[in-house]
Amino acid sequence: MDKKEVAVVGIGQTKFRARIPEKSYFELAFDATKEALDNAGISHKEVDSAVFGIYNDLFERQIMPDTYIQDYLGLYGKSGTRVTTGGATGGYAFRAAYAEVASGLSDITLLIGVEKAQDNFDWSQYKSTPEVLKSIAYSADMTWEFPVGAYAASSYALLATAHMKKYGTTEEQAALVSIKNHSNAFKNPYAQSPLKLSVKDVMDSRMITYPFKMYDCSLYTEGASVLVLMNKDTVKKYKISDPVWVMGIGSSNDKSFTGFRSVHDALGNYGDIADLRNHYEAARIAYKMAGISNPFKELDVAELHDAFSFTELQAYEAMGFTTRGGGGRFIEEGHSLIDGDLPVSPSGGLLGAGHAVGATGVMQIGEVAKQLKGEAGERQVKIEKGRGLAHSIGGPGSSYATVTILGV
Amino acid sequence: MPKTSTEKARETVKKEVRSVPIEKIIDEVIDKQLKVNPGIVEKDKYFEIPDKIVMFYKYSYGSQSRFFKTLKEDAKLSGTKCSKCNFVYFPPRANCSECYSDVEWIDISNEAVVLSSTTVWYSNSEFFDRVPFAMAYIKPVNADTAILQRIELNDKEYAEPNSKVMARFRKERRGAISDFWYELL
Repeated sequence: MDKKEVAVVGIGQTKFRARIPEKSYFELAFDATKEALDNAGISHKEVDSAVFGIYNDLFERQIMPDTYIQDYLGLYGKSGTRVTTGGATGGYAFRAAYAEVASGLSDITLLIGVEKAQDNFDWSQYKSTPEVLKSIAYSADMTWEFPVGAYAASSYALLATAHMKKYGTTEEQAALVSIKNHSNAFKNPYAQSPLKLSVKDVMDSRMITYPFKMYDCSLYTEGASVLVLMNKDTVKKYKISDPVWVMGIGSSNDKSFTGFRSVHDALGNYGDIADLRNHYEAARIAYKMAGISNPFKELDVAELHDAFSFTELQAYEAMGFTTRGGGGRFIEEGHSLIDGDLPVSPSGGLLGAGHAVGATGVMQIGEVAKQLKGEAGERQVKIEKGRGLAHSIGGPGSSYATVTILGV
Repeated sequence: MPKTSTEKARETVKKEVRSVPIEKIIDEVIDKQLKVNPGIVEKDKYFEIPDKIVMFYKYSYGSQSRFFKTLKEDAKLSGTKCSKCNFVYFPPRANCSECYSDVEWIDISNEAVVLSSTTVWYSNSEFFDRVPFAMAYIKPVNADTAILQRIELNDKEYAEPNSKVMARFRKERRGAISDFWYELL
């Protein structure tokens, strides 16, 4: 198949903030949708279908929040489908939106990623965070893992300690990811957490779940991010001058019971608990589709899913930017800095820009599109090869992983 | 004259027990909290109200029931073994996910080894008062998989991978995963 079949032609997002109490989830979706449609130069009436990336009903205080958004956006009469795959919701919703257009079912599809979080409130603690964590922790297996005390950070910490043991990765190396991404956020006007940090600041921040300290963890965020996707003929019809094409998508889900991942199973060639096996597989599929054989040399920019700093180190390896176990060294050598050989997460990533779950992956794909178009303002990186990657992951032990390659 | 559907409904309503929903109890607790700190909800810039979603269950473990029954009654761990590929599942599965063959129940050893571990210092609402606690992926010596479970650290701060551990059981057991834990040896 000719790869230049489906393009991103419109990008919109709200500012990412800890809490946006003056707007409901459908109003946040409206704001980002309006911006994306204006950016594409079309009206909502010209859209054929919508795909919704919304992670958690408990955040929105609403089962089937997508149907209420669709109504609010005046998209009645059109198809609407929701995707929910944990932290990977945005990335997987993009996959579904791509399939909607690539299949010929729609000429124009709206991809709407949105999330609230901090209306969750713990009335015994008088604060939001423990209740937000509970909303997410209900995604852990309710029979075997939630009752033990599993929650998002512990689930990823168990991957990190395995990586530390297997490859000698250090907390100080992970701290460099936190410093980089919080620093990149200064140049992103939509970002939640621009911070100037030192290794000592990260190492001295309060322990959350070993080895994650506070500055190793992304914060909870509210916001929306929307993309407009079109097929090739419609791009021509609307005389879109700067389409960003979808070159490859690869997605892979590992066993949701992390303790079942073994070198003896079908993904065993990628490793065990210490390795993000499905991320390797998702990258392999995406690179094959995009015709990329040396990603470190062939990509201009990547947005990785740094819900936790260690995860970005592990992802450098899984994305093939460096050797297995080389993630810590990769950042020490500065490759992933905004002025490095392969800038990673110029948006600030989840640590710096924020993690508005359903919106996060959409925001990161939008960031890669902006970078490739040369529209990333102060944080613009050098575009020479015209290829960028976005990585979106989620679920227990990151059981969901999807990789998107865009090109101009 | 046959009764109308509304007349039938009126009779049924009279017969049903009119119990107070348990959710009401939670409302009362939140109302009390709100009286202590009424400023916690915003009324001017935007309008907030206390709210909740509560669900109750009488949950069936399905084919995994045998594990929990054995755990509660005999303080023993059990798993399943595939009759074709010999893969040993712990937590047990009633079906082999690898080859779709039948499985048989087997005893699982209390001796195990830590694969990876973390010590939790900040947790969600339901576990907020329990920190710090350690949990780990723990592989019994005769299983092919690891289970997520608590570790009693015995004054250590962290359980190193490859540490040997032993399963311990609560005296009062209710048939839940929290009926047992592992202790560092």
